[in-house]
Amino acid sequence: MKPEWELWAQEAKAEFPKANSALLPLLHRIQSQEHYLSEDTIRDVAVLLKLPVPYVESVASFYSLYYKNPVGKRIIHVCMGLSCALNGSDELMHHLEGKLGIQEGQTTPDGEVSLLEAECLAACNLAPVAQVNLRFVGPVTEDTADQLLTGEVKS
Amino acid sequence: MIRLTIDDREITVPEGTMVVDAAQELGIDVPIYCYHQALGPLGACRICLVQVEKMPKLVTACTTAVQEGMVVHTRGSAVDKGRQGVLEFLLINHPLDCPVCDKGGECFLQDYTFQYGSAAGRYDEPKIHKLKDAAINEFIIIDQERCVLCQRCVRFMGEYVGEEQLLLEGRGVETVVSTVSHQPMDSQFSGNVIDLCPVGALLSIPYRYKARPWNLERAESVCPHCPVACTTSVTSREGHVIRVEGRPIPGHDWGWLCDRGRFGYDFGYVEDRLLNAWLDGEITSAAESTRTIGSWLNDTLEQHGGDSVAFLVGGQQTMEEAYQIRRFADEVVGTSKVAVSRSVKGYLPLGLNGTFEDLDRADTIVYLGQDPYDAVPVVHLKVRDRYRDNPGLKVIGIGAYDLTRSTVPGDAFVLEPGEEAAFLAYTLAKVAASNPIIARLGEELGDFSPTFKGAKSEQEVETLGRQLLESEHLVLLWDGKDPHMESVLLALRGLREDVTAVLPTFGPANWRGFERAGIAVDYDRLEAFVEEAIQGKIHLLFSIGADLLRDYPDRERAKAALAAIDRVVSVGLFFPEQRELYHAVIPGAGWSEVDGTYTNMEGRMQVAKATVQPPGQSRPVRTYLGSWAHALKKSFVLEPEWDPFDHNAGDLIAKDALPEVQSVPKPARPAMKDGALRLVGTALVMEGGMPSEILQPRIPKYPGRISLADASRLGIGEPGGELGLRGQQGMISVMVAVDERIPQGVLVLPYGVVGSPLNQLGDGAVVEAVSLEEVSLR
Ligand code: SF4
Ligand code: SF4
Ligand code: FES
Ligand code: FES
Repeated sequence: MKPEWELWAQEAKAEFPKANSALLPLLHRIQSQEHYLSEDTIRDVAVLLKLPVPYVESVASFYSLYYKNPVGKRIIHVCMGLSCALNGSDELMHHLEGKLGIQEGQTTPDGEVSLLEAECLAACNLAPVAQVNLRFVGPVTEDTADQLLTGEVKS
Repeated sequence: MIRLTIDDREITVPEGTMVVDAAQELGIDVPIYCYHQALGPLGACRICLVQVEKMPKLVTACTTAVQEGMVVHTRGSAVDKGRQGVLEFLLINHPLDCPVCDKGGECFLQDYTFQYGSAAGRYDEPKIHKLKDAAINEFIIIDQERCVLCQRCVRFMGEYVGEEQLLLEGRGVETVVSTVSHQPMDSQFSGNVIDLCPVGALLSIPYRYKARPWNLERAESVCPHCPVACTTSVTSREGHVIRVEGRPIPGHDWGWLCDRGRFGYDFGYVEDRLLNAWLDGEITSAAESTRTIGSWLNDTLEQHGGDSVAFLVGGQQTMEEAYQIRRFADEVVGTSKVAVSRSVKGYLPLGLNGTFEDLDRADTIVYLGQDPYDAVPVVHLKVRDRYRDNPGLKVIGIGAYDLTRSTVPGDAFVLEPGEEAAFLAYTLAKVAASNPIIARLGEELGDFSPTFKGAKSEQEVETLGRQLLESEHLVLLWDGKDPHMESVLLALRGLREDVTAVLPTFGPANWRGFERAGIAVDYDRLEAFVEEAIQGKIHLLFSIGADLLRDYPDRERAKAALAAIDRVVSVGLFFPEQRELYHAVIPGAGWSEVDGTYTNMEGRMQVAKATVQPPGQSRPVRTYLGSWAHALKKSFVLEPEWDPFDHNAGDLIAKDALPEVQSVPKPARPAMKDGALRLVGTALVMEGGMPSEILQPRIPKYPGRISLADASRLGIGEPGGELGLRGQQGMISVMVAVDERIPQGVLVLPYGVVGSPLNQLGDGAVVEAVSLEEVSLR
């Protein structure tokens, strides 16, 4: 447990009448520092908010934007929703898998890039859509796909 | 009361009843997955859809409370279609692997699909795969693909037991049941999730691929491992017990079991199970041993008369067998010397004995000497159940260490070992000194005053005294160790206007039943037998289902007693300890092999059916008794069978008059040298029970427990270590670990741990730590 987490927990709790409401913001804040939520972190958060460990574990596993395993510095989400699927998100994913040499859900061995799938990102007009560190990119074409891996991120 | 109509039949039920339960009362089965009466409504699975007139849509019967004039239809095309839809969703990703699933044939997913589901799925897409056959502990595997996410297992562990060891992980179609931090579940109530799971997702490892439900037999039974005697159903196939399940009794018992009871059924098949008769250390035939023992009996009777023969009965026997033994002793042998092998000296008059219903109504529960979680696990669950209903429940632990635990929080009074009775007499005198009963109780206490480990003020003692006298429904769970406690309990009963119920948490499991069968169980009898044996007055002993060396509080005396008897015969499932002290050891039949009745700690008689044949040469006691009678050319007729039930009193043994209150003597505090430890014995069902290969991985490696302070002083680290101990009567070594509930200067050790006999040193003895080399040189 990092010393500042206690303070963060206090701050999160102060914003809500009940401790469990403070859970999501606190998890986000800690994840932004740690990049993911380890089992130890989950225990620490449970202690900080006086919540049962399984409760915190269930919540953390429910939301796909909480990472239970270490992720890369660049996180690429490819939308797998219907509109994107019709517009070729499968090929996009395969293309990226080939480029990175990893499978969906994995991180490159150098810890640089993680490739993840997402459900409909509510930007179907941009299908096929990807996100790089949560910033939208789309429509991604064959020509622009590789920019997801290297380019500056614009939205 | 509310009146409603279900499927054209009227019923009146209390307000707040759920439709599903009202239907159940009419004998109408509404399908359920997530609902369980002990857990309350959740509404997660939607299979219980029913139609209620004037309601626009189908409703879930488990979350809909009855209303006056409601008209419910539990069948019909709308309902069936609704259920069909629910099943279609449940089966989208189901692997449909029923042919290889242990639950097949007794699975609610199969049954309801057969009844309501469609014959084929409409879903062509590939199925989502999840973990199959993943062990969640030593006894249970999960098949996440078969799970219908009803959450019974999760809620049982978290809400009901209060040990949060399971959770739902993930979201949507990817949700799975898993263990906390993916660590194995270690609750001693873990096995109940197998019974609770309505589908084949949580399965028993030892029962795996052993049988299909249609080629096995089930028999009603009770668990033989502790005095709770939980109701069970025993599954057998081809003469082998292969499974034990809880057997709920509607309105009375939920059918929970602890893992000892559920998985410890293989004691009949372990390597040590006695299958042959032994005479003077050699295997012989059953006929030969019976003949020889018959001639010993004949000779002893001729030379020394009936009173030179004694019988010692242990906890494995049924009431009927106890009765047969007593009659054999009376009528064939002509001896009155029948004693029960025991570890503790206390006795509880039947008139004080409460029932589990008292726990359901209690406002104050007191643990005396023992944590029920360890000794009588399912009683802990019953207390927890009460605590869930009544969060104001007062729980008080009084003993040599902190007897409370977080699942049922309470107040702990931690005393010097063995001072519980004196402390209570002292406490009662504080609040009602003028009362003649209390004055009598305290006559010999002198200047006794308790010392507490962890501060307790005079004020708190007085509050306790008042709670004991004024609580509305008081239940005390007593470990039976200090015989003077009997008077304290009698005094409480005499003083209080409201209900005072005591539940004895001590064994042997069926002692109350032996009493009903006419065998006095008081410790004085056992003591008198040991004394007479040592004096050479006993020439032949039949030790039946007993093991004096293991049970009797003083091992050296037990040895001396057995050594002084000319012929010692043991009948049992296993070799007794130090078998060289026995001249004949013959294999007995036990639980699940003989029909019989057992009485539990409530004084309730319950029948356990035989379901398998005794293995090898082992035979029920009555067979041996018959052949010995024959050897004496005496008739011993056991027909008609004795019926232990008194048909007016029902299954509870009728109460008798209460004895007088006696005074409690001032406890002697032994001198303690620096660094000395006081031994405190306790009954633990896991550590101290019968051998079991299935349970082996769960049986704690470190049965002894000491405080952190003593552990660090003695160099015992994580997870535990071995400690040599020297007392006045010898030395033993014990595997110990830290338990934060134990105060400094105390070592808690279960009775009956193989290799670490507490009774070598004595319960309550002052011991000092010595090196292991010293112990091995002993
Ligand atoms: S494992 Fe069984 S009891 Fe647990 S949620 Fe799944 S179906 Fe229900
Ligand atoms: S509590 Fe006792 S009787 Fe019940 S299952 Fe456990 S060992 Fe058996
Ligand atoms: S389907 Fe991809 S954004 Fe909606
Ligand atoms: S049993 Fe009613 S919703 Fe599950």
